Amino acid sequence: MQAEVQSGPVEWEGALVQRAAAGDTRAFERLYREHAGRVYGLCLRMTRDPQLAQDCTQDTFINAWKALPQFQTRSSLGTWLHRIAVNVSLGKRRRSSAVAEAPPQDEEGDIAGEWVLETPVEVRELETAIEGLPEGARDALVLHALYGYSHEEAAQMLGIAAGTCKAQLHRARRLLRERLQMEVN
Amino acid sequence: MSAPEERKVKSLAELGGAIQPPHDLWPRIEAQLAGVRTAATPATRTPLARWRWLAAAAMVASIAVGVWIGRDLLPLPGGPATGSPVAGNQAPPAGAAAVNAAYISDPRYVRERDQLMRSVQERLQAMPPQTRAKVAASLAVIETAKKDLESALGKNPSNALLQELLINTYQDEMRVLTDVHEAGNAGTGI
Repeated sequence: MQAEVQSGPVEWEGALVQRAAAGDTRAFERLYREHAGRVYGLCLRMTRDPQLAQDCTQDTFINAWKALPQFQTRSSLGTWLHRIAVNVSLGKRRRSSAVAEAPPQDEEGDIAGEWVLETPVEVRELETAIEGLPEGARDALVLHALYGYSHEEAAQMLGIAAGTCKAQLHRARRLLRERLQMEVN
Repeated sequence: MSAPEERKVKSLAELGGAIQPPHDLWPRIEAQLAGVRTAATPATRTPLARWRWLAAAAMVASIAVGVWIGRDLLPLPGGPATGSPVAGNQAPPAGAAAVNAAYISDPRYVRERDQLMRSVQERLQAMPPQTRAKVAASLAVIETAKKDLESALGKNPSNALLQELLINTYQDEMRVLTDVHEAGNAGTGI
């Protein structure tokens, strides 16, 4: 029973993917409506620029439309779109800032966990604290803590070593603690 | 960047990944889709797929001629068994079966093929216009396939698949020529 409940939306999405891959723009619009929020959220948090994030979102869906005939329906469409969005955002960000960020120093400790705050914080305050993180730490944090990818998956999406991603997450946690002046576990 | 709500959260996961764009991006995206997919389609077709398609087209053309001749020109079953059976239901003619990579470039093969081609052209003149058009169209498809495959082999001479496709295409051509030639013999009395 549980399997049926879980497979329902996936099958529904798979049918839309097949129709869109065959050129049905109405099916693709439904996929866009389903995923636009999470794709735009990812692009916005990576670029910190609403206009740039809109461009990235647009390019993500256009690239997805181009590549849809090659998409394997057994994979997650959401994950696939997020990979494209990360690539597009990194590309646009690279073009807009030529200064490369220094790699983080290794830090000890476990980065697994739910990133729970010591006391509740307003969404705006938390978003501002995340926005203020250095790019590498912010990218890793967003993919891991907000989108739920493991640090290995996040590293793969960002094109960095798993160890580097882990170090970025340590750095993000340390900086968030400093900025929110509370424990983040 | 501003958060949509002033609510408080206890963990980062509660922020969620989704943030709705300030306005609907779909019209801009949709405007670009039509050009994107049609422009991408020819580029995404690999040369390999094209070559296979050409060889398949040549094969279909040769079978079409065989079927056409078998249906319209050869004597009915029970009549004198001088004609070739329908090409689609038979093994290639003996001449075609003997074709191999070395053979298609052998001067003797080239000479025999040229003779057969001349003979076929003469016999075609005696055939109905519809048949002539059908055979000419099929030979044109085969000729295009041969040229494209030979051109591709010129760039990649050691490609075994291309060699095989080219040989198949020569066999298809030989099948058409043989069918027309034999139909001419059988149809003398038609």
